Amino acid sequence: MIKILLNTVIRNLYKQKAYSAINILGLATGVTCTLLILIWVNYEISFDTYHKDINRIYTVYENQQYADGDIFSVYSTPSPLAESLKNEYPEVEYASRMVSTWGQLVLSANGKTIVENGGKVVDPDFFKIFSLPILYGNYTNPLENENTIVLSRRLSERFFGDIDPVGLTIEINSTYQYIVGAVVENAPENSSIHFDFFLPFKFFRDYWQYDLSDWEANSFHTFLKLKDGANTDYLAENIRYHVRQRIPYSNVELDLQAFDRYHLYSINKNKAGPIWYVQVFLLVAVLILLIACFNYMNLATARSERRAREVAIRKVVGAQRRGLVGLFLTESIIFTCIALGMAIVFVELLLPVFGDLTNRTLTLNPGNFKFLLAVVFIVLTTGVLSGSYPALFLSSFLPIQVIRGVFRQDSAMLRKILVVIQFSMSIALFICTCVIYKQLNFLQESDIGYNKDNIVYVEMLDDFYDEYSELKNELLKIPGVHWVTAANQMPVNFSNSTWDVEWPGKTVDAEQVLFQLSFVDFDFIETFEMDVIQGRGFSKKHGEDTLKFIINESAAEKMGMVYTIGEEITLWNYTGEVIGIVKDFNFNSLQVGVNPLIMMRNPRSFKYIGIRVGEDQEPIVNNIRKIWTQKFPDVPFNYRLLEEDFDYFYQAESRMGKLFATFTAIAFIISCLGLFGLVSFVTESKAREVALRKVFGANVDHIFQLLYKDIFKWIMLSVAIAWVLSFFAMEWWLNGFAYRIEIGIGIFILAGILSILIAFLTIYKQIARLVSSAPAQVLKYE
Amino acid sequence: MIKTKNLIKIFRTDEVETTALNNVNLEINEGEFVAIMGPSGCGKSTLLNIIGLLDNPSEGELHFNGYQVENYSERQRTNLRKENIGFVFQSFNLIDELTVFENVELPLLYMKVSGSERKRRVNEALERMNIAHRAKHFPQQLSGGQQQRVAIARAVISNPKLILADEPTGNLDSANGEEVMNLLTQLNEEGTTIIMVTHSPSDADRSHRIIQLFDGHVVTENMRQKL
Repeated sequence: MIKILLNTVIRNLYKQKAYSAINILGLATGVTCTLLILIWVNYEISFDTYHKDINRIYTVYENQQYADGDIFSVYSTPSPLAESLKNEYPEVEYASRMVSTWGQLVLSANGKTIVENGGKVVDPDFFKIFSLPILYGNYTNPLENENTIVLSRRLSERFFGDIDPVGLTIEINSTYQYIVGAVVENAPENSSIHFDFFLPFKFFRDYWQYDLSDWEANSFHTFLKLKDGANTDYLAENIRYHVRQRIPYSNVELDLQAFDRYHLYSINKNKAGPIWYVQVFLLVAVLILLIACFNYMNLATARSERRAREVAIRKVVGAQRRGLVGLFLTESIIFTCIALGMAIVFVELLLPVFGDLTNRTLTLNPGNFKFLLAVVFIVLTTGVLSGSYPALFLSSFLPIQVIRGVFRQDSAMLRKILVVIQFSMSIALFICTCVIYKQLNFLQESDIGYNKDNIVYVEMLDDFYDEYSELKNELLKIPGVHWVTAANQMPVNFSNSTWDVEWPGKTVDAEQVLFQLSFVDFDFIETFEMDVIQGRGFSKKHGEDTLKFIINESAAEKMGMVYTIGEEITLWNYTGEVIGIVKDFNFNSLQVGVNPLIMMRNPRSFKYIGIRVGEDQEPIVNNIRKIWTQKFPDVPFNYRLLEEDFDYFYQAESRMGKLFATFTAIAFIISCLGLFGLVSFVTESKAREVALRKVFGANVDHIFQLLYKDIFKWIMLSVAIAWVLSFFAMEWWLNGFAYRIEIGIGIFILAGILSILIAFLTIYKQIARLVSSAPAQVLKYE
Repeated sequence: MIKTKNLIKIFRTDEVETTALNNVNLEINEGEFVAIMGPSGCGKSTLLNIIGLLDNPSEGELHFNGYQVENYSERQRTNLRKENIGFVFQSFNLIDELTVFENVELPLLYMKVSGSERKRRVNEALERMNIAHRAKHFPQQLSGGQQQRVAIARAVISNPKLILADEPTGNLDSANGEEVMNLLTQLNEEGTTIIMVTHSPSDADRSHRIIQLFDGHVVTENMRQKL
């Protein structure tokens, strides 16, 4: 029986090659998209799962409240927090701080020198919290000794090749000596924490002379591993005011985030985090698979007239309806299996491209249990779903109707609804793509308050300021170099902040105003072409300009001293006058608004040199490199372009935009196949009507009108549905941006016209063929 | 074997009612060969379809082998049909996607006959219809006469008690038509009851009895031969 079933299906498939090809291709495309998205989603949700006790690992984060009531959540916590939590709460088994080494360090050993900025400073508990396989050295407590360094396998191999380096010495910045205590396996790519080496906090104290007992400075990640069965909610509630209890004026509240949510979920309540993309693309996968299933349903039922006789005969000779349903379901499952085979080939071919698009190294792993499960699930649901309607519809034919020639049942409505759904989804995706691109374009082109183009910047080693003045003078001699400045951070990543600012007339409410802080050198304002509203920028013409402040408009407003120069403010314990007010500029992604900012000249903190260059960057950069290499032969010249960093802000969005565009195109193609199927049914069923109308005098235009009118009614309906859906979806998305576009009616009209045009072209040939067919041909078969 | 009592069939569309059968009372015994004749549109095929349980009467009773069947469910009809009735159509109605062998085998599949048994019986039926050499061909590769012989093979494969033939020679030339009629006559002689709708007087001559229909009424019943 099964053999005959298979035989029938395969013969049917072979006999109607074009139909089968369209159908299988549609399914294969749908399954390919779904598999690609599932592989990506699987990668995203696999982040950090390699840690053995991941469900016991938590990150402590701070909810900082701004004066206007906005809550901003950050992972930065005070240094003493980890130890304090461990001592006070029995639920905490291990606690560790983590902070990235600030800037580049020069490591030397075994006659080699390597400049690294991938170091992490951690407490010994770090290795008890996270599962990092130890290859050599102290397995239980790699940082037990305060003078040890732990290397990643990658860094160990760069220094020492394949040998066990435990016990050998690494010199840092030619000053500090650390002994290799252990070598750990590199973090896998799907890890939230990446590292090249680990250092103990002794280094932090020695090198940066940082007061590690200060509760007011937030620079550290705090990770906890809780005891088995610890009550997390209870603990989170208890630690909530832990910082406030130590700093009376602080409004910081602490909370816990499970580490398995670290990669995908944002700690900011009003931001969705990458999980949003995961959810959106899962939805897209389901939509595309649905569109493909609808397609199959459409095409399969469109052929019903051809299959009707077969069904009738089978019924006459004894087939029950159930058996026929089985036959058609088998057929759709076989189609899906063939589609799956093709899809796996497609996926294999497309994975590298898709990997580039998603910025992930994705692999197809057919032996993986989860993958097999997904495949079986896809085949069964797609097969059954796409086969269900044709099976029920076709098996419902009564033999007598077929024999009498009146077997056509009213499936037309359902198929029209399917096409309407397909088109609605495709058009909605198209509109979303347009809006996403428009918003990204807006963000990249909009006035950010300074000129980000043609800025080259270089990260320095610490304590470079002594050599900086000389370097600056030489750089300024290069033709094409217009301005040179230095700062502790570039305007793309301002991250320091403080509450500790005093000014005359400061109110109690203003205690909670958080100020961003930046240390900048002379000519900073000029280099970045910022607008000075009042006063001036830091300039050598006015002496050293230390203990002078430049603030932005927002800060002036918060301080209630709009446009007044010469006011005295106190930052920490430095008191000085405001010498300039700059127009607000964006020093973060435009998703975040502008906060109050204070700039001060503090040469010891400078870390970057910013250079404004002319349009023709390459020769200028080469000249800069030349001077650099002469001055710092040991330090590699790693320069960056500010505009590239700026684009990086929107990389996630930009990637999403590209993915959306790709999947929209695919959805459209499959939907057009569906429309093609619908129209082939319409032309088949209207052949007689058209022939008769022609016999009795209808001309070609009449017939075209007759056929197109009906179809366009449905396409218009799809357009309307898509408008509504996409409008609400995109309004919601745009509301996540501090600066956003208005969607505008243009995109909707464009989508409508394009859809109608695409629909027109898809069905033109079939309709034209029907219109031009000779009536006698059709009527002969009556 | 078959008895109809005041059988009425009315086709309704929105505005028109057409009475296809009007108070048809018939009795057909086991082993009979009955021909139904009459002008186009007189209700011949409708009557055959109702007897074959492919269609429902609007009113009246239909008895099959002593059971009253006009209100049977689709499932019951299917079961009754596959065990008792074989069909032969004017347009053969073979499934194009199946080979000759598979077409003939089809009813046995639905009767859950074992594979080896099926093979034996299909080969036997094909031999008998003199078409065994074409077993692996597809219907479209055969002549009309050959296709109708395959259809007859399919009709008899389940050893039905009744064969319903709707103009079995209507699409055939005279030589092929003759051959088909010989086969049906032979089946009848072996005990199968046959009811045949036909326009051809010569085909009707083969039957024991001719029922003449006109506008849905039975007008005459002529006994052709002694039983």
